[in-house]
Order: sequence, then C-alpha cells, then structure tokens
Amino acid sequence: MIEFKAVSKQYPTGQLALYNVNLSLQQGEMAFLTGHSGAGKSTLLKLIALLDSPSDGIVTIAGQNTQSINKRKIPAFRRNIGVIFQDHHLLKDRNVFDNIALPLKIEGMRPHDIKRRVRAALDKVDLLKKEKEYPQMLSAGEKQRVGIARAVVNKPSIILADEPTGNLDPDLALDIMHTFKQFNEYGSTVLIASHDHALIKDMKKRIIVLRKVKR
Amino acid sequence: MASTYRPSNSPSRVLLSHHKEAINFSLSHLWQSQLSTWITLAAIAIALSLPASLYLLLQNLKTLTDDKREVPTISLFIKQDITEQQARDRGELLQELAEVDKVVMVPKSEALEDFRKITGFAETLETLDENPLPHVLVVTPHMDLFGEPELDMTKLARKLESYPEIDLVQMDIEWVQRLRGILRIAERAIMLISLLLGLTVLLVIGNTIKLNVESRKEEIDVAKLIGATASYIRRPFIYSGIWYGLFGGILSLVIVHLALYSLVPAVEELARLYGSSFQIGGLGFKMTLYILLASSLLGIIGAWIAVGRHLKSTTLP
Repeated sequence: MIEFKAVSKQYPTGQLALYNVNLSLQQGEMAFLTGHSGAGKSTLLKLIALLDSPSDGIVTIAGQNTQSINKRKIPAFRRNIGVIFQDHHLLKDRNVFDNIALPLKIEGMRPHDIKRRVRAALDKVDLLKKEKEYPQMLSAGEKQRVGIARAVVNKPSIILADEPTGNLDPDLALDIMHTFKQFNEYGSTVLIASHDHALIKDMKKRIIVLRKVKR
Repeated sequence: MASTYRPSNSPSRVLLSHHKEAINFSLSHLWQSQLSTWITLAAIAIALSLPASLYLLLQNLKTLTDDKREVPTISLFIKQDITEQQARDRGELLQELAEVDKVVMVPKSEALEDFRKITGFAETLETLDENPLPHVLVVTPHMDLFGEPELDMTKLARKLESYPEIDLVQMDIEWVQRLRGILRIAERAIMLISLLLGLTVLLVIGNTIKLNVESRKEEIDVAKLIGATASYIRRPFIYSGIWYGLFGGILSLVIVHLALYSLVPAVEELARLYGSSFQIGGLGFKMTLYILLASSLLGIIGAWIAVGRHLKSTTLP
C-alpha cells in the first residue's frame, strides 16, 4: 500500500530530513513510526499525504508513484488519506459537527448522508453529545478525537497520525490508540508517528524506527 | 472495506451543492463582519458613483442638444452696399431652394429700431450719422430634408455664403455643435475616469479578498489537507467578490439617485426660467443593469486575482 524506495528529502534550507529511506507497508497493516525528534517522522508522513515531494527516490502509494500524479488529481487522491495532527487543526469558527462534515461536504455528499456519516464517526470516538460545541469548549483529548473523527469520516484507505497522543495523559493516549486499532480492524492501513515507546510497545504492532541522519 | 464508499452523486449535483454552500458561506461571512463590509461597500460605491453620475450628467446634456423641436435658423448678414430691394430679391430666390422652409427679411431700419428698444442704446445711436446695422435674412431650413443635421447645415451655410450679396453667415446651431464637441471630449474623459475608478474597485475588492484569504489561511490549509480542490477553496472567495461588487454597485445607484433627486427642483426652476420643458433623466434600466454587471464582474476578477495569488504562494500543492 505504501512503499518508499531510497527516498531522501532535503529542504531548500539545506536541512536533510530523510536519507535513503526504504519502507513497505501492506494494505490493512498497522505500524508505528518512531525515532528521535528531528529524525524526519513528520516529513515521512507528509510525503505520504502528498503534502511534500521527495528530493530523491520513489514513494509509491496504492501502486502509484506520487511524483507522477497529476497536480489536479492530488485533492482527489488526498481524500483517500486521513491525516491526524498533533495540533488537531480544527476550525475554530465551526462546531464539532461542521468540522467533521467538512471532508464530506468537499465530496459533495447529500446533507442527509452527511448527517448519518458524521454521527457514525462521532459515535466511534465517543463524542456524540458534543456535536454542537465549538473546539475551544473541548478538552485536549476531545479535540484530538474530533480530529480523528474528521480524518476517518470519509472512510479513507490510509490513516496517518502525527503524534496523536502527544498532549494527552496516558489513559487517554491508550484510548486513542485503541480507536486507531479499531479503524485498522475495519480495513484501513494505519501509520502512526509517536515517540511514546511504552505506549506503542503495548499495542503489539510493527514498529519502524527512523534514525537521525548523520552528516 | 476501506473504499466501499462511492459518491452516488452526479457531478452536476455535487457542483450545485458546492455552489450553494459557497453562497451561504460567503454571505454569512459578510454578515459576520458588518463594519468592515460596510466600509468596503462604501468605498466601492463611491468609486462607482462618480463615473455613473458623470455619465448621467452627460446623458442629460445630450438630450439638451438633441432637442429637435427647436429648429435652428441661419442668419444672413447682407453686405452694406446692397440695397434693401436687392436683399429682398435674394430672399425670394432663397425661398425657392429645396432646403429652405422660410425666409424672413429684417431690413436695417427695423433692426435698428429693435436694437434701440432692447438695449437702451438709443442716445448713443442718435449720435451716429448712419445706420451701422446690415439687412438680415433669417433662413429657416427644412429640417426634414436633412439626414445628418450638422453636416447638411454646414453644407447649406457654405452654399448661402457663396451668394455675392452675403457678407456673413451665422448659424444659431453653432452653440449646439460646440456643446456636442465638448460633450464628445467629456465622453472620452468619463471613459478614462470610469476605467481608473473601475481599477480602483478592482483593487479595493482584491485587497479585501486578500485580507479575507489571509485571515482564513488556516482553514484553507485544513481544507487542502482533507482533499479540497483549488476551485472548492476559491469558490466562496469568488462569491464574496461578487457580493462586494454587486452590493457596492447597488449602493452606488442609491447614491447617484439620491444626488439626482436633490438636483431635480433646482434644475426644473432653471429650465422654467429658460422657458424650456427640460427634465432630468435617470439612469434607465439598461444602464442600471450594465453598472451592476460591470461591478459584479470587477468583483469576480478582483477576487480571482487575490485568491489565485494566494493559492500559488501557499506551500501545499
């Protein structure tokens, strides 16, 4: 599903974020990406989500070389990938429901179907009662769960998460990891960047370690 | 299971729902920041009302020159050494011309008498040995024979000038022609002003949209992250541009008409003093439509440029 072949990424500033990364993730697999901060975890996820392009090597997603995807097709491609960030990226001027509905609105789904789907996603992250609230009224864990609900509401085949438990206490963190596991069991390929070693060991899934580039 | 979902929607229905969403969103956005919306609208309206009112002024002056009821006359001043009888004969001959409707002879004695009555120069005139005024033939041309009044009048005047008895030809139409000449220049000037102020509107809307885009940068990035297309992101801003243009245009029409109605009594009074039945005309349906169309179009273009620049400058592809 996801394949990296000799991938390097150097930013225009000269910073080398990734060097010669080889990696393969099967469809339906769940894995953790770990490594020191600055090892390039976020960069790697960005390359999968087409938020950036590699300076060298080939990234293949669902059998397609990301470099050869037509620029106009990128949005449609991205809709197959749900991304969750550490700082949730929720829109402050919209309530929980509208935040989660955004991907569906972009797809042009009927309001009736949107309602059904958003409620289903809210149910999975256990936030059904909060749909009318605005992000600033929510706790950190709730915001993160809203972010997750938005990432999965259109049933993407790939779910990426960048430090999704970074700001949360251990109980909540475990809870969220189990939510991801659930989505994986439903069939999505899941890749989670995290530096919380204890937590990811408990999950008993594949662990990919990125080593910091030595210069 | 991952991609069991297939949008069961037809592309046109999706597009329609996107447009509906963009319209609602852009309108509510304008409504949320009322103060800045009104300031922007006022700036646009003022910029638009200037060319609109100048145009209106021009149109009204034009109707003044188009007045067909006032048939122009041509005054022929006869040379001093021509006798009254010779002048009368010439007048009768002129009467035969196809272009001429009527010729009225004003002999110099009569002219002197009139002059005396009108000007109160009686005493001064007494001191003169002889009558300095010439005989005058006042020619009224057949207007219905003319295709292009200005051209044909000039032609007729030139023809009349060629008669040996005639010293000077003066057309009462000349002021109309001069006014028309001035109006032609004014028309150009208004075009230029409209162009410049149109550009102003474009810049105002473009800048407003640019600020909008910047304040919603985060939202745009999020939308891109979850797979929004460029046109999806652009759409609400384009609609904002349309609203700014359209509402600014409407506001400018209100301004123009308020100004117009404040002028009506004064103009009517002036027209009455000149014994004219002149009435101020409004912008009319077609012009109103043009202004609103043009201002909306300016809004679209301004918004398009502003959003386009942002979409290009952003880091996300």
